[in-house]
Amino acid sequence: MNLSGEYRINAQRDVVWQALNDPAVLRQAIPGCETVEQESSTAFTARVKAKIGPVSAVFTGRVELKDLDPPGGCVLSAEGKGGAAGFASGDARITLLEDGQGTLLRYEAEGKVGGKLAQVGARLVEASATKIANTFFSRLDGLVAVPETLPPAAAERSLPAGRRMPEVFLERVFIALVVAAVGSLGIVAAFLQ
Amino acid sequence: MYAFRYHHAGSIDEAVRLHGSCEDPGYLAGGHTLLPTLKMRLAQPSDLIDLGTIDALKNTSTGTDTLIIGAGVRHNDVARMTHPIPALAGLAGQIGDFQVRNRGTLGGSIANADPAADYPAALVGLGATVITDRRQIAADDFFVDLFETALQEGELVTSVAFPAPRRAAYMKFPNPASRYAIVGVFVAWTASGMRVAVTGAGARVFRVAAMEEALERNFSPDVLADIQIPDDGLNSDIHATPDYRAHLVTVMARRAVALANA
Repeated sequence: MNLSGEYRINAQRDVVWQALNDPAVLRQAIPGCETVEQESSTAFTARVKAKIGPVSAVFTGRVELKDLDPPGGCVLSAEGKGGAAGFASGDARITLLEDGQGTLLRYEAEGKVGGKLAQVGARLVEASATKIANTFFSRLDGLVAVPETLPPAAAERSLPAGRRMPEVFLERVFIALVVAAVGSLGIVAAFLQ
Repeated sequence: MYAFRYHHAGSIDEAVRLHGSCEDPGYLAGGHTLLPTLKMRLAQPSDLIDLGTIDALKNTSTGTDTLIIGAGVRHNDVARMTHPIPALAGLAGQIGDFQVRNRGTLGGSIANADPAADYPAALVGLGATVITDRRQIAADDFFVDLFETALQEGELVTSVAFPAPRRAAYMKFPNPASRYAIVGVFVAWTASGMRVAVTGAGARVFRVAAMEEALERNFSPDVLADIQIPDDGLNSDIHATPDYRAHLVTVMARRAVALANA
């Protein structure tokens, strides 16, 4: 499965970073997200209840950051487990660009699926992942474009010592992407080809 | 399959009331999407409310220019019916295989809103109206996104009203195994103008304005020959690329117009 996309987030990079650094904002932006937890400085896990069509399942995803090149981008390696549905893993290259008053984010992801998911085909994987990713970015745009909806602490919040903003931004965004992709993989199992 | 509570609903009101009183409920129509999902443990509803025993969902009535089909009417029944919209019978007869047509229902298909389902093309192509337990929704507003409709939580489709067109036809390029539409196009010459609805190609059914305008001038396959829809955002999977689907839309639309004129 290959996924790629480009989104313009209607806020300056600083604002987007601040918002994405707040787990509360992230949980609001990821459809069905229950928790986002940091395992180490370069690893995160997220738990998401994905619901598309008749499928409703809880997925857990783990993301690791590699080939850091702040602030231009990085490669993110991810794996997700969806219980009975199977598992998915993949790598994605993220590129960040300044775009006037906004931020342009591009991603190219390549993934594979296994277990029950792989047996029954991939008719809806890409469409589902795209839908979830679109929902995430439009919610994110809504959250950062209207600062009043952010918790007051978000604007003041500082980054953990020793961590640079682009890293945090990329990690957070990619968690959402991975979760989107992994969550959507569960859907294929329901639709026999 | 996980355990769940099973309910027989005796009436539309009872079904909706039951749905409102359960923790994580689902309606069960024909079950040909829902049951495989449950068998693979990809959903775990607390309660299922079986609609199969509600006679009010199985009514069909034919007016001079409208056909109203109950949400619980099965595909095979629509395919065999003698009614004023032969294109609809033709579409229903192409859904899935015999077993699917013998169980699957109109309401179940449209409430599920699979991007490759056939019925959404007929609803949008004919400018139908979806009737629920609480309101009426124009087909153009009903299909919102991938597996997403305008239905509210617990809202139940009770029937669909199809206005009879002057001419109409549906052509699809099916997946040879599942019979889902890789691309399906419903073309109709209706009282309110030309309508071209495409299923299978995008996240949801959509209309093609450029083709509708061309058909307004001349209801002939040839006027569509040079109209290619952009492939941006079209579905991509192991069966077809966006580019190929965009090409198929024109091919299927031309064939549908030819069939409507036959």
